[in-house]
Amino acid sequence: MKLDPSFIWTAFVQILSAIPTTLYITVVSVLAGFVIGIVVALIRIYRTPGLYPLAVGYVTFIRGTPMLTHLLLIYFGLPMIIDGLAVQFGWSFRSVSIPMIGFAYIAFSITAGAYMSEVVRSGLLAVDRGQIEAAHSIGMSTPQALRRIVFPQALAASLPNLSNSVIGMLHGSTLAFTVSVVDINAQAQIVASTNWKFFEAYLAAALIFWGLTFLIERATALIEKRINLYNRGGVA
Amino acid sequence: MGAPFDLGFIFSFLPKLLTTLSTTLLIVACSLLAGMVVGFIIALPRLYKVPVLKTCAEVYISFFRGTPILIQLFLFYYGLPEVLKLVNLDMTRTPVLVFVILTYGLHTGAFMSEMIRAAVTAVDKGQVEAAYATGMTSYQAFTRIVLPQALGIAIPVFSNLVIALLKDTSLAFTLGVMEMTGKAQTLGSATQHFIETYIALALIYLVISLCVEKLLLVAERRLLRHEDQGSPVKKRFTLHKKSSFRTIVADLGSGKGGGA
Amino acid sequence: MIKLEHISKSFGRHQVLNNIDLKVSKGEVVVILGPSGSGKTTLLRCVNYLEKPSGGEISIGEFKLDCRHARKKDIHQLRQKTAMVFQQYNLFRHKTALENVMEGLLIVKKLPKEAAREKSIALLEKVGLGAKLDAYPSQLSGGQQQRVGIARALALEPEVILFDEPTSALDPELVGEVLEVIRKIAKEGITMIVVTHEMGFARDVANHVVFMDGGVIVEEGTPSEVFNHPREERTKQFLKRITPELNYSI
Repeated sequence: MKLDPSFIWTAFVQILSAIPTTLYITVVSVLAGFVIGIVVALIRIYRTPGLYPLAVGYVTFIRGTPMLTHLLLIYFGLPMIIDGLAVQFGWSFRSVSIPMIGFAYIAFSITAGAYMSEVVRSGLLAVDRGQIEAAHSIGMSTPQALRRIVFPQALAASLPNLSNSVIGMLHGSTLAFTVSVVDINAQAQIVASTNWKFFEAYLAAALIFWGLTFLIERATALIEKRINLYNRGGVA
Repeated sequence: MGAPFDLGFIFSFLPKLLTTLSTTLLIVACSLLAGMVVGFIIALPRLYKVPVLKTCAEVYISFFRGTPILIQLFLFYYGLPEVLKLVNLDMTRTPVLVFVILTYGLHTGAFMSEMIRAAVTAVDKGQVEAAYATGMTSYQAFTRIVLPQALGIAIPVFSNLVIALLKDTSLAFTLGVMEMTGKAQTLGSATQHFIETYIALALIYLVISLCVEKLLLVAERRLLRHEDQGSPVKKRFTLHKKSSFRTIVADLGSGKGGGA
Repeated sequence: MIKLEHISKSFGRHQVLNNIDLKVSKGEVVVILGPSGSGKTTLLRCVNYLEKPSGGEISIGEFKLDCRHARKKDIHQLRQKTAMVFQQYNLFRHKTALENVMEGLLIVKKLPKEAAREKSIALLEKVGLGAKLDAYPSQLSGGQQQRVGIARALALEPEVILFDEPTSALDPELVGEVLEVIRKIAKEGITMIVVTHEMGFARDVANHVVFMDGGVIVEEGTPSEVFNHPREERTKQFLKRITPELNYSI
């Protein structure tokens, strides 16, 4: 076993084919997580009776346990629930027909939802109370004030956190290999073991992830520059 | 898939999983120590703006924050022996645990250095000026004035990092280390009661996370007892939108947290 | 005696201080006036090297420092001979009022703990804060914090105390108590250089008034010379703009 620099390139090319899978998982979990996050954050901010303890419990549980356990719990638990219900109600649907990647989508969305709720919550709380009072003072309704004044500012404030969450989910998607989804990590494993060149394959995978992370960071910086125009004063 | 659900198994699995808790905690503790040392070393050139070294530190941080911990584990496990073979160091007999701790240590170190840098920069510049004006040397100003304040500021991030590290150790099983998650998988396959094992596993992680969080919250309260509890710290940091420390805190928190 | 000679300072291409000469005799209270951006705060910060002058000489008594070849040791020595009261108070946030005053005595002056404590308590009582020894800065009002800041500076027994706009961050109703303390210690013959916008205070307390604009000293003299018979057009303009404020603040 000798270091083979040229194989890094070979592995790189072979692993490229798995990028879409990684991106699908990331995008789906981030988008679904964002929606869950907004709902959970609003429940927590407005302390909706009944739902509030549920929301807190959900966020505490997810943040206190590894993402891997979420995936495994969904992977083993969901079929049990679905099949149990199917038998009871006589559905023809069985959990076997759920594709493997479906479990990854569901589990990671649940994970992302909890983290996103924190991002959304801190973004909303970062907006000065005076902003919504000022909106009311010129006659806006609360939904109008939220939509036109609070949300845009909250978004700008939480952009760095959002970007970090996206990167977190990108990196977390490597866990999908445990449910036999062939993402970048799994593909690297395949390339490594078929050629018996582990170091080179993982190096290639690391470079790809590094590149993707870099792109996300650049994109964030660009958006931040556009969005934060109003924040450019030199007062602070 | 698996045997029918049986609540009783969760309780019978708990003590079995707890036998491997020491391995998990060993990894966490050792990596944490290594990470703090590494983090401090990496933070210094950035704080003092040392030319070349600063760039090296930035690349280091970018790499360890820019790639998944899982990939890093494999990379070090397979790569380090090969690289060290070039300098005639044989690592074939080194225990896996060493690779695991090394990787987690280097990984956490990158985040630690960001934490240290952020906390030190978050201490008001006027504090250092006042220290100098009092006649202190820069070393005295750092150890007596900046560090004690930075410590209090850093604790929430530190807490997040410890919990993230704890959760990340669940990946050590991929290299065959018998920590809690590895044990859970063995138990699962042996009994076919997967879901019960993973519930038990999640519960243990949850309890440890909550304990760590509570403990460090107490430490934070103590270290920040000079701040009028409740408002001023936070208010002070949000004054400066751009370098808002709360953003940094949340930054590192979610940046790490979403990881694994 | 404190002597500043040919002090210059530029930030990049922007010249903030241009060849400043200033003499302060022992026990004198010098007030520096000027519009914002005139360089008065920068000059004050140059005296204890919180800003590094681009050139010039600073001497305090026998001690002399050439700003072009200042070594770490010299700067440290210079700072031990001066003390500063900041606009934003800059009390050490993690230390109580008493600890703030003691800090310099213990660490820089190497006083034994008991002596440092005794001296600090006496000074805090002098500035009227004998009851607040164990309060943290966050538990004190701005005026109280600034009085602790003054006690902290006094404790070091410096050759000169530099006041950088000591009242401009304060709520109007708290300005009086701080000025009162400064007035009191001025009477005790402590050398002071004060940058301030409080004209009434300058008129009453100063022995010498310096008017700065655009990085140079435009005019200097006794308070009555500068306030009642200003020679330079720029001084007249400045006083005319600032005097109406006087009526409001009194």
